[in-house]
Amino acid sequence: MAGMPGTGGTRMLAWSFVGPALLLLIAFNLFPLAWNIVLSFTNADLSGGTWEWVGGRNYATIFSDKSFAAKYGAALRTTALFTVLAVAIELALGFALALALRRDFRGKTPLLAVLLLPMMLSPAVMGLFWNLILEGTYGPLNQILGLAGLSQPAWRTEFKLLCLLLVDVWMWTPFMMLIALAGLNAIPAQLYEAAEIDRTPAWRVFARITLPLCAPLLGLAVLLRATDALKQFDLVMAITGPNDQATQTVSALLYQTTFANQKVGLGAAYAIVVLVGVIAVATLFTRYLDWMAARQGREG
Amino acid sequence: MPRFCLALALSLTASLASAGDSITVWWAQWAPSDGLQQLGDDFAKETGIAVKVHQIPWSNFQDQVFLDFGNAKTSFDAVVGDSQWIGRGASKGLYLDLTAWLPGAVDMAALHPKALANLCEYPAGSKKYFAAPLETDACGFAYRRDWFQDPAEQAAFKAKFGRDLAVPATWEEFRDIASFFQRPDKKRFGCAILTGRGYDSLVMGYQNFLWSFGGGWGDPATFATDGHVNSPSAVAGLEFMKSLLAYAPAGAANFDYVQCLESFTNGSTAMMMDYFAFFPGVARSMGDKAGFFAMPGHAGRRACSLGGQGFSISAKTSPAKQDAAKRFIAWFLQEKQQQAWIRKEGGFTANAAILKSPAFRSATPYNAALADSIDMVQDFWNVPVYNELLAAAQRHLGEALDGTKPAKAALDALAEEHAGIFAEAGLAK
Repeated sequence: MAGMPGTGGTRMLAWSFVGPALLLLIAFNLFPLAWNIVLSFTNADLSGGTWEWVGGRNYATIFSDKSFAAKYGAALRTTALFTVLAVAIELALGFALALALRRDFRGKTPLLAVLLLPMMLSPAVMGLFWNLILEGTYGPLNQILGLAGLSQPAWRTEFKLLCLLLVDVWMWTPFMMLIALAGLNAIPAQLYEAAEIDRTPAWRVFARITLPLCAPLLGLAVLLRATDALKQFDLVMAITGPNDQATQTVSALLYQTTFANQKVGLGAAYAIVVLVGVIAVATLFTRYLDWMAARQGREG
Repeated sequence: MPRFCLALALSLTASLASAGDSITVWWAQWAPSDGLQQLGDDFAKETGIAVKVHQIPWSNFQDQVFLDFGNAKTSFDAVVGDSQWIGRGASKGLYLDLTAWLPGAVDMAALHPKALANLCEYPAGSKKYFAAPLETDACGFAYRRDWFQDPAEQAAFKAKFGRDLAVPATWEEFRDIASFFQRPDKKRFGCAILTGRGYDSLVMGYQNFLWSFGGGWGDPATFATDGHVNSPSAVAGLEFMKSLLAYAPAGAANFDYVQCLESFTNGSTAMMMDYFAFFPGVARSMGDKAGFFAMPGHAGRRACSLGGQGFSISAKTSPAKQDAAKRFIAWFLQEKQQQAWIRKEGGFTANAAILKSPAFRSATPYNAALADSIDMVQDFWNVPVYNELLAAAQRHLGEALDGTKPAKAALDALAEEHAGIFAEAGLAK
């Protein structure tokens, strides 16, 4: 708006465009965030009653209380493991699928539509469906394994984190594939033609043309998926519940603290800590992406 | 303007006059709530006070109730809250104190003492009441009576164990029977026990072993937990519970109330632990194939987890609504209405005389076992921090069942965490 003429009419028009969005932002983002910060310095309880200011006691509990710090540490480890594994597998599978689907072939459009279906469904509903698929005795997966003469494990009790990973990978690999496909399609065809004229081996073409030129978009996809996976909650709720040590992510512990244990003040402080952590990771990653883009620019 | 003010005044007067003409009761979504609604409709016919029973899925019940209590005025006038909630409801000023009213409105002598103590009173032994008994439930077992009565099975069992195949009186007998019926290749399993990691099902399942093996949650006077939660008896109880999972369907280390129920009603499991309130549905769907028995014991001790809920009035609703709710509770606890209540699906009375009566015991296939169970119920902590204690117990017991930690290590960690929670709450002495 800096370049706009400062007449009252145009200023009003500008505010009428920006105002509603600004109000929504304040009502649904800034106010809850500010309120959450206020709550984090109180001993607020879910069921009401009087609150008292407790200063930084909630933050001290998170970092120094032996019991909570142990739970927080375990949740942090579970979340990190889940995020790294889920994003890495989704990236590898998504990129491989994108490479396979890069060229036009008969039936490509319906195949793409089917592949994209999982990411369009609700994670909570998918979690409940997968619960049935992974059921130990009558679940379809174990029925198939049984027919093949293989062992039929109790998936949801013996391999809890694996179950979460399985469903997450099934849901979000198509997202990675979509972004990778967009990246691959944006690579100029002349580069491949030049490589073909030079008889460059396929692996070298992949390493020197395909991967580097796709990398910025893949990086963006990794950033988006990683920030999403760091907040993993719905699948945990649907598959194992928020209080299972093996799958308690930071978001599940946040829910457990605020709603099940009804400690709103402590939960608010914990939410701030989680938020700062996610922002820090995202900032580091965007800096890395900027650095990569700048390096490519210099090399290009 | 004067006309508008007059209309506003009239509508305000009308709304105040009708404030006590209806009450809203919140309870979980299950068959007993339907029965309560039917009785509420009868109450409305008699008194003109409408009763609306709002049902909430079990998985969200606690969250929604306490979230609503966070408001200045609750959306409900009465709540049928879990037995463990009473300490929180009483000490946080959420439940109306019924101490002065209840003994005058209800025949206290008619109430089963265990129901009165566990569902209504806080603190224990104080004679201060914050609820009236509504649903008096207990943990018990359903079993495949047709399998137990099959002559071929009886002969095979006798040949293997040297005794008749009959309803088990001890946990050791229970394990023998479970192992006998465990035939995974034929999709037939010995038992399903409560092990779910959600709200409280693992704790409710474990308690049946904990108490009969001689363990406990702690000293109710000092709130000491070390030496109680992790006593050798408690460890033995947990190890015994875990040993039963070898005779259960795949995935039975995480079976909540519904999954236990499903494993039985799908025809695959011989014995299933659950609350009696679920058994009317079992009896209806399985008929004579299903029988019911009270919790087995160990070394002469028998105990089972208390179920059920008390009827509490919100302290955050209008006095007119509170009075209407009191009228409904007093009406509901009259013997005539209790006789009607026990005819509703899963409607379990706290009326001791009805529970003992031969007519009640023989009215359904599960009533006798229920009546026996009420005499031996015990409950988890009902202090204001019950929810943190419960969540910690669910987590540590789960680790023991999953094999992540040995039973002793899991219970040591649990005793330490419980002690920390009691200390932080200012209860530990």
